[in-house]
Amino acid sequence: MSNETSLEVSKGFTYGLRQSLTIVIGYAPVAVTFGILATQFGLTNWEAGLMSFFVYAGASQFIAIEMLHQGASVWMIGLTTLIVNIRHVLMSLSVVPFFSERTLSWSLGLAQGLTDETFVLNTRVLKDVVGEENRRRVMLGINLGAFSSWFVFTILGGLIGKWLPIQFSGFQFALLALFIILTTMSLSENNYLTYLLAAILAIVFKLLIPGKIYLILSVALAAGIGAWWRKKKLSQTINQPKEDNRNV
Amino acid sequence: MTNQLLETIILMTVVTYGARVLPFLLFKGKNVHGFARDFIELVPIALLAALVIPELVTPSGSIVIIHNPYLWAGVLTFIFARFVPNLFLGIIFGMAVFWGLDKLLL
Repeated sequence: MSNETSLEVSKGFTYGLRQSLTIVIGYAPVAVTFGILATQFGLTNWEAGLMSFFVYAGASQFIAIEMLHQGASVWMIGLTTLIVNIRHVLMSLSVVPFFSERTLSWSLGLAQGLTDETFVLNTRVLKDVVGEENRRRVMLGINLGAFSSWFVFTILGGLIGKWLPIQFSGFQFALLALFIILTTMSLSENNYLTYLLAAILAIVFKLLIPGKIYLILSVALAAGIGAWWRKKKLSQTINQPKEDNRNV
Repeated sequence: MTNQLLETIILMTVVTYGARVLPFLLFKGKNVHGFARDFIELVPIALLAALVIPELVTPSGSIVIIHNPYLWAGVLTFIFARFVPNLFLGIIFGMAVFWGLDKLLL
């Protein structure tokens, strides 16, 4: 490779694009799945593509088609999307120091491609890139590679979805299965009590309150109690160093 | 496209892009700590619980345990995904099991 000779100087857009391949491999099947499910749940191929293009946030897109299917209101879906994606603030905040001289257009552009996966890859890659100009180009390459694959593979999934038999009752369960798998991937010692609390609250609220409001209520309450409990545990840990489990 | 879907996509775009871009526009490099950070970190897992568990336990509005393909397909998918952490295979498994149980239990 010719550009390995002057390693630091030559890291730019193409370098970022090449780095993004690992994400592309991960995104492709998920985006195809989204395309298939979206069309199975009544969206057209282009509507699914439009959602991937503009929203570009995996989990909340799946949640949105499930909620649309259940008849939730636009505001409810918007609010749910907000609480799911508010974590981007944290990631954005920790990427920002790489670009202290950024212009408005770079800010607007680089922020567009920030996802869980590009965030992880960018933080790993950017700390070895010298010069803010280069870092911007590398991040743009990583972001664009990931973003275009998300969009293209959504469309591909939509095309596949249109050819699949509608009668198969298993599709009713596809999104729930997806969420369950995501659960097994993210459950840990630090959050399982919050998970259980949210589950119980959600069942109770769903039985008591009509509509979809139980989603927001149970999530806000469970995450709030969980965070409060963590803080309490933490201050206890400082007082009594033996008890060091933050198992909320 | 229906207006409802268009509005949904626009609103989702605004809140998602907003969360991504605001720190770029407002901060030089600060971090969130304490309660706010823990809260934000716990929201995804709480939401997964709220989205899934009521659908599994009360698919038709009241609690059903035995004759409930959702619940048992959910339990089996959970166990499967514990051993095979693959999104695509897990979905295929979940759909197949649900389909089978749906025929069996009703």
